[in-house]
Amino acid sequence: MEGASYQRFPKVKIRELRDDYAKFELHDTDVSMANALRRVMIAEVPTIAIDLVEIEVNSSVLNDEFIAHRLGLIPLTSERAMSMRFSRDCDACDGDGQCEFCSVEFHLRAKCHSDQTLDVSSKDLYSSDHTVVPVDFSDSAAAAGEALDTKGIIIVKLRRGQELRLRAIARKGIGKDHAKWSPAATVTFMYEPSIHINEDLMETLTLEEKTSWVESSPTKVFELDPVTHQVLVVDPEAYTYDDEVIKKAEAMGKAGLVDITAKEDSFIFTVESTGAIKASQLILNAIDILKQKLDAVRLSDDTVEADDQFGELGAHMRGG
Amino acid sequence: MNVPDRYERFVVPEGAKKVSYERDTKIMNAATFIVEREDHTIGNIIRMQLHRDDNVLFAAYQLPHPLKYRILVRIQTASQSSPMQAYNQAINDLDKELDVLKYELEGAFSRFSRSY
Repeated sequence: MEGASYQRFPKVKIRELRDDYAKFELHDTDVSMANALRRVMIAEVPTIAIDLVEIEVNSSVLNDEFIAHRLGLIPLTSERAMSMRFSRDCDACDGDGQCEFCSVEFHLRAKCHSDQTLDVSSKDLYSSDHTVVPVDFSDSAAAAGEALDTKGIIIVKLRRGQELRLRAIARKGIGKDHAKWSPAATVTFMYEPSIHINEDLMETLTLEEKTSWVESSPTKVFELDPVTHQVLVVDPEAYTYDDEVIKKAEAMGKAGLVDITAKEDSFIFTVESTGAIKASQLILNAIDILKQKLDAVRLSDDTVEADDQFGELGAHMRGG
Repeated sequence: MNVPDRYERFVVPEGAKKVSYERDTKIMNAATFIVEREDHTIGNIIRMQLHRDDNVLFAAYQLPHPLKYRILVRIQTASQSSPMQAYNQAINDLDKELDVLKYELEGAFSRFSRSY
C-alpha cells in the first residue's frame, strides 16, 4: 500500500511579529496550501463570542436585538477556545449550552444618574471566567505611543434615568457559522515578485524617458538614482501586478525593458488578528485545525472493506 | 423563520458518512470520492497534492452547488496504483507537510521573540 512520498518541506521566515499582527514569508509550498491556511484562519479557527443575551431591563434608545448584535461582535480573549467544547457536542449540559465546559456567563448593569450621558462599554461586562474577558486594546495603544485612556468598545449611550441590565452567554464557535467568531481581521498573501530590469535596454533611454517610466508605476517600486541616473528596484513587494510599467515600456517601444514574474512557490503573508487570539497563535491553531480536517477526510475502514469485496467481484467479472 | 440552521454547513448529519467512495464502472482505476461538509479548503489542497503523484493520471475536485455542502474528488491512476492508494498518500503527505510547517513556525516564532 505504500507508495513513493511526494511530500514538500516548507520554510518560513518571520518579518514582523506583534500580538495582533504578523508578517512572514512562506517558501517551498504551493498556492493551494497558502490559500487553505488563509481560509482556515478566517473561517475555521474557533474563538469565543457572546451568542445568547437575556435582557432584564432596557430603557436605552437602542432596541434589544440591536444591543444583542453589538454584544456578539465584541472580541473576547479566546486562548481557551481550542480546548473548549462546542455547546452542540457538549454532553455535560444536554445541549442547552450553559455549563462551564462550553460557555462563559457575562453580566452587565448600568444606569445613568447624571445629566451627562453615560457610555456603556465592553469594560462594563463582568465575566464569570477571568480568562475570557473583552479584549483590552489599551496595551497595544500604549505600545504605539498613543495617549488614549481607552474606555473599551462602546455598546450604547445612556441618558439620565435610562438603564440597561442583561445576562449574556458566550460560546465557542467558528467564523463559518457567524463572522463574529472569526479571529482574523484580515489575512492576505501575495506571490513574491522577482523583478529584473534589462540594463542594456534601459541605458538606451533618455533621462526624461526614465523618469516618466519610473513614475508610470502606481506604487513606488522603482527609483531613479539622482547621481548615476540608474533605475533601481527599491521595493519589489510594492508591485501590485498591475502591468503598468510593462504597458508603459511597450508604449515607449521598449518591450522587454523589465521582466516581472511571480515566484510560484513563495508567498508573503500578513495576518491581522481581532485581538481574540495572538497572531502567532492564530497561525499555529490554523495548522492544527487543517490537520484535524485532513484527518476527518481519511477513508474509514468499512469503505476500504466494501471496495475490496467489490474489487474481487470486479476481478471475477474481468475474468481474473 | 424558514431558514436552515447555520451549523448545517459544517456538521455532518447523523447517519451520513464523511467520505464515500464510488468506483467508476467504465474506466479502470478511476473513482469519485464524495466528501461531506468540506469545501475548496480541503478540495484544492488534495487535488494539488494528487497532481504531484506520478501514478495519478487525472485528479480534480468540484463543489457542485454552493448550498450542498459537499465536494467530489475524482481520481484516475495508472495500473500500479489505485485511486484509494493515491488519496491516502495525498492526505498522508499533506499531513506530514503541515507537521514540518508547524515545527518551522514554532522555531521561527521563538527565535524571533528572543532576538526582539
